[in-house]
Amino acid sequence: MVRSRDDKATHGQLRRHNRELMLRAVYNGVADNRAALAQETGLAKPTVSELIGELIDDGLLVEEGHGPSTEGGGKRPRLLKFVPTARHIIGISLSEERVFGALSVLDGRIVAQHYVDLSEAPDDTIVVNALLDVINGLMAQLDAPLLCIGIGTPGIVDSRTGIVSYIADWGWRDVPLAQLIRVNFNVPVYVASRTELAAMGQYVFGAVNGADSLATVLVGRGVGVGLVINSAPYHGGGDIGHLRMAARADTNTVEEDRLEIFLGWQVVKQRIYALRRAYPGSILPGENDPLSYLHLRYAAANGDRAALALQDELSRYLAQVFAWIIGLLRPDHISLAGPIANFGQPLLDQAVQYTQHFVLPDLVQRVTFSLTEAESSLLVAVGAVAQGLRRELGMV
Amino acid sequence: MARKPVLGIITNDQHQVFQRNVIAGASDIAVRYGYSVQIDSYAEDPDHPSPITLDCAALSGVLVIADAAPLDLLRSMYESGTPLSLVSHLVPELPIPSVIADNVQGMSELVKHIVERCHRRKLVYIRGVPTQRDSSEREAAFFREMLRYNISVPDIHFLRGDFSASVAAQSVQAMIDNGADFDGVIAADYVMGITVVETLRRNGRAVPGDVSVVGFGDAPEAETAGLTTVAADVVEQGRRAARQLISQQQGTRITGVTVLSVRLMIRETCGCSALPLKV
Repeated sequence: MVRSRDDKATHGQLRRHNRELMLRAVYNGVADNRAALAQETGLAKPTVSELIGELIDDGLLVEEGHGPSTEGGGKRPRLLKFVPTARHIIGISLSEERVFGALSVLDGRIVAQHYVDLSEAPDDTIVVNALLDVINGLMAQLDAPLLCIGIGTPGIVDSRTGIVSYIADWGWRDVPLAQLIRVNFNVPVYVASRTELAAMGQYVFGAVNGADSLATVLVGRGVGVGLVINSAPYHGGGDIGHLRMAARADTNTVEEDRLEIFLGWQVVKQRIYALRRAYPGSILPGENDPLSYLHLRYAAANGDRAALALQDELSRYLAQVFAWIIGLLRPDHISLAGPIANFGQPLLDQAVQYTQHFVLPDLVQRVTFSLTEAESSLLVAVGAVAQGLRRELGMV
Repeated sequence: MARKPVLGIITNDQHQVFQRNVIAGASDIAVRYGYSVQIDSYAEDPDHPSPITLDCAALSGVLVIADAAPLDLLRSMYESGTPLSLVSHLVPELPIPSVIADNVQGMSELVKHIVERCHRRKLVYIRGVPTQRDSSEREAAFFREMLRYNISVPDIHFLRGDFSASVAAQSVQAMIDNGADFDGVIAADYVMGITVVETLRRNGRAVPGDVSVVGFGDAPEAETAGLTTVAADVVEQGRRAARQLISQQQGTRITGVTVLSVRLMIRETCGCSALPLKV
């Protein structure tokens, strides 16, 4: 019988799906031998045996020891074990300041990190060269075959095609980033927005208390929201810094009402200096001294009026973002991440309080909130690893 | 028979614990990939350093430990196309890749431990050599963690240490003589941490009863002294640097920094091992 191309594709997809079922069941500890896998997945025993044989040949599973015999005194089954070190995945975070990469094994454990700092105003060539150098730096440390590369970028990204539609700071328009990297390294490459990957990283490897749907609000130089909805990443998330604040939507001054004008770090810095002038005696650093959200945290904890005023302002803006998310999506969990998380728990608590002014308090109370103080580059890179695991092995 | 390609290692003293372990790791990878290793330990007597004797042009690549090679030598090797890797060092002027331990993560773990687990807040910091990158990164990370935990450390609690046991001992002795009030010491390296423990005990201060002491980096001496530290796997650092070097030798362009995580080694001098875990 001659099969059509569509039939072949369907057969291949089914086989891949079944392989992923096997692998996921062993990885998650649901089943640890062939009979249990057949029972768990509903697949015929010969099919299970054939697929398990493939996975063993690929090094992803090993047989290790025997389980107890069945009640009827049958033969003791050979136990199957997942081999996390069988492959490596590279996860990359592209940001305005740095290209950061993490080399991970299949259980998410990071075995090496590599970064290249970017100059103040890098052009597209500098960024791409830095990206290639970071991948080269991690490739040098491989102990196992590379499964895939995941990349998180700022701007607007089509994660299905791997094309970066637009990054203003680097002048990128319709850059086929996934293809560009694929031809250099000859492995599958997945590209997505940084915030989407930050959410994915938190969902897979973070402590989010079994949430099925979560939003990660990433605030640094800009503002972004990444979403996991019903256990799957939502590909439409990303930068929302261009959205206008509701409270000032009637002014028609589009530029001045954008969210990033209120929450982006460059503007927050200027606001700190202004508040410092307005509140003489403030312990916040002056314009020639290093300044970070940790300085704000320290000053606010010591009752500094300028820092407390800014905490109040920022929490109102964050509340607006939280309200949009809750009103539209009703997530189980919202996480505040990026440098702003270093302001600490009081900022988040106050933002949650204000959120109840914008949406029904009942809706807010159904959501759990957390701060993620991990470096956002690491969070994004870990998310890129999680995405690779999902796309290549269907494991998460 | 074809001659084996050779990797050179430039270090200041190959017998010191750190350097010895880096060399062991680098040699392990070199041998695995069919290279031999030549070591130039050029300044075993720091007061009478000898010139570097390696014929760098004949080498497949050169690994430099810390700041053992002067900038002009690095520049000439870089410009001649010799593959280079640095261990625990960065040269901002040149795009030479390096392998460093994660100073920020390490200091963050030490502070988190001494504050959250050992409940110490009157802290003293023993500084390294301000011009060295490890030293400045660790101190900056310490300062950031003080902000995070809302701890104010007076300027007089930042003591000169210079990564030297004798300098650190003198600084701590002076502080004790002045009657300073402190209950925790974080040293920028384990060598200074060990000497701080000895100095405190000599002066009748119980460690860890009166003062908790922790230090950055780890070695058998730290284990013997029971010092709580954060450990960088130095042998692994050498392995990573050798891989970086060999990859470049095979034609791959690498710039930037490979960072290795560190891990907390809880021993006796912090005093928390007897305390119940904070839930």
